This record gives sequence, structure tokens and C-alpha cells, in this order.
Amino acid sequence: MSQNDRNLERRARDLYLRASRDVDPAMAGRLRAARRAALAGPRESIARRLLIPASAFAMVALASLIVWQPGGGGTAGEPTAISQAMDNEPNDLPPDADSADPTLYQNLQFYSWLAYADAPSAAQRK
Amino acid sequence: MEHEDGKTDETDDAVNGSLALDTTSLEDIRDVPANMNAFLAGIERRAWRMAEIHLGNRDDAMDAVQDAMLRLVRHYGEKPAGEWTPLFWGILRRRIVDLQRRRKVRSIIVGWIGGGRDDEGDELPSWDPADDAPDPSARLQDSQAYGDIVEALRRLPRRQREAFTLRVMEGLDVAETAAAMGCSDGSVKTHLSRAMHALRDQLEAWR
Repeated sequence: MSQNDRNLERRARDLYLRASRDVDPAMAGRLRAARRAALAGPRESIARRLLIPASAFAMVALASLIVWQPGGGGTAGEPTAISQAMDNEPNDLPPDADSADPTLYQNLQFYSWLAYADAPSAAQRK
Repeated sequence: MEHEDGKTDETDDAVNGSLALDTTSLEDIRDVPANMNAFLAGIERRAWRMAEIHLGNRDDAMDAVQDAMLRLVRHYGEKPAGEWTPLFWGILRRRIVDLQRRRKVRSIIVGWIGGGRDDEGDELPSWDPADDAPDPSARLQDSQAYGDIVEALRRLPRRQREAFTLRVMEGLDVAETAAAMGCSDGSVKTHLSRAMHALRDQLEAWR
């Protein structure tokens, strides 16, 4: 390698190192922020790694709570406090047509016919 | 060793000379860092300058460095600190190449959409992101010389530019440069020799 080549290399390197030292403050700040973000990145992923099993465990626990209703096994015959409270409330609503016994409506028709049939005979008796 | 242009003897002579690289002012940047933060703090400005030389844009250079830092920490943080330097430069080099390719694709798409010509029929320049920031080289006392070397480097083929910047300016040894460039030691020497040859011609005034 000639002296000229050595000079060229040395000068190129010196200029590059000087230019790197003299980076403007705004860019230096952005580089610092980028470094901090890069170093903070894995911590986030570690937290995420811990959070994923924790949330999965919570989901499993919730699902098992839904499937296994507390108090439902050994005391099947005893109503719970909530159902007792509901039973004690006055039932003002008419029976639901879908859930009512169909024979009830047949009986109602029969009684209305009977009442209508009895009405003329009662009038004749008078 | 690659001998694509048949200049075997000349290349080898130049290469052997380059192996005895003058390492002035490189000692302080090649110490093994105590931790990742110290490593990144020591290299981040040079990395940005390096990316800026290759990409010619401050913001693109910033993106490349940021991504390289992130990938190094995420994927190679557990590696021994002595291995970080070539790994980092290798990651940064790949990011720079990715950005250059993406920019090329954008240029093609912009060309398709706009036909590459303005209303008066003049050819539009290739797409380049806006860069309104003041030229950083203006801050340098030797800004003209730095501008000359950067301009000369940008005229080099990409592989030659990579070899010169990593081996000469950043001071990596041949093996580290080869690892960062993803090629053999012989290829590094060949690219470097050709880069030196081209720069000698371009920077005649430096002699």
C-alpha cells in the first residue's frame, strides 16, 4: 500500500469519526431515544410472556367456575338465597302463553261453553 | 478469492497492503463493551453516519439504525459482547439494503402512476423522501472534505462501498467485515481493492 493510500484511508476515517462525534443535538437525542426504546423492548416482551399464561390461567379459572356452580352438588334440593328471594316476590304477571299448560286453555273454552249453555236454562227457570 | 475482472496480481497486492490497515483513532471504539447499553451508546452515532452515507437521507438512516438496535437487542442480546460489533454492522447493512430496495420499488410505482413525467412532459426525479434538515456536514470544520468522500463513496457500487466503510472507516478486521457483509474474506479483499482503486481516481485532489 502506498503512502497516498494510507493517507486516503486515514483521512476518510478521521472525517467519518469526527462527523460521528459532531452529530447535531436533535439527531443525537433521537438516537438516544431509539436506544432506550430498543433496550426497553425485551422487557415488554418478558412482561408479555408472563401476562399471556396469567390471562390463560384466569380464563380457565373463569370457565371452570361457570361449569362448576358452587353449592350445586351437595345441596341440590335446597334453594339458594337468590332463588328463594325470587320465589317470595309477588307474581303479578299473567302466565306466559308459551309456557302455560295447553289443557288450561281447553278447560277455559269448556267452561265458557258451559256458562253459555247454562244461561238460557237459567232464564227459563225464572 | 473472486477475480471477476481478472486483475489478480494488482488486487492481491492492494489487498495485502490493506491488511496492514492503519488503525489510528480506532482503539477507543473497539473496546469490548460492559453491557448492551454501553455498546449501543458507543456505536449509535457512527451507525447513523454510516447509514446516512449509504442511504443519503437522515430519516431513513435513523430508521435503519433504530431497527438494527432493536433486532440486535432482541435476537442477539444473549450473545457474548465481543460478537456484537460484526453482528450489529451485519444487521444494519441488511436494513440499509432493504430500505434501498424499497425506495427503488417506490420509484418504479411512482413512475407507473405519474408516468415519470410532469405536466410539461419533463422527466420527474426518482422518488426520494423530503429531507428539510440542514446538511449536517455544514457543521463540520472539514465539511468540504467530508462531502467529497461521501460523494465519492456514493458513486461506488454497493458492495465496494460496504467493504470500504466497514473495513477502512469503521475499522473492522477482514473476518468481521466478511461476517457483516455475508461473504467470504476473499470477496471483502476484492471489493476493498476495487473501492480503493476507484476512490484514488475520484479523490485526486487529496493526494
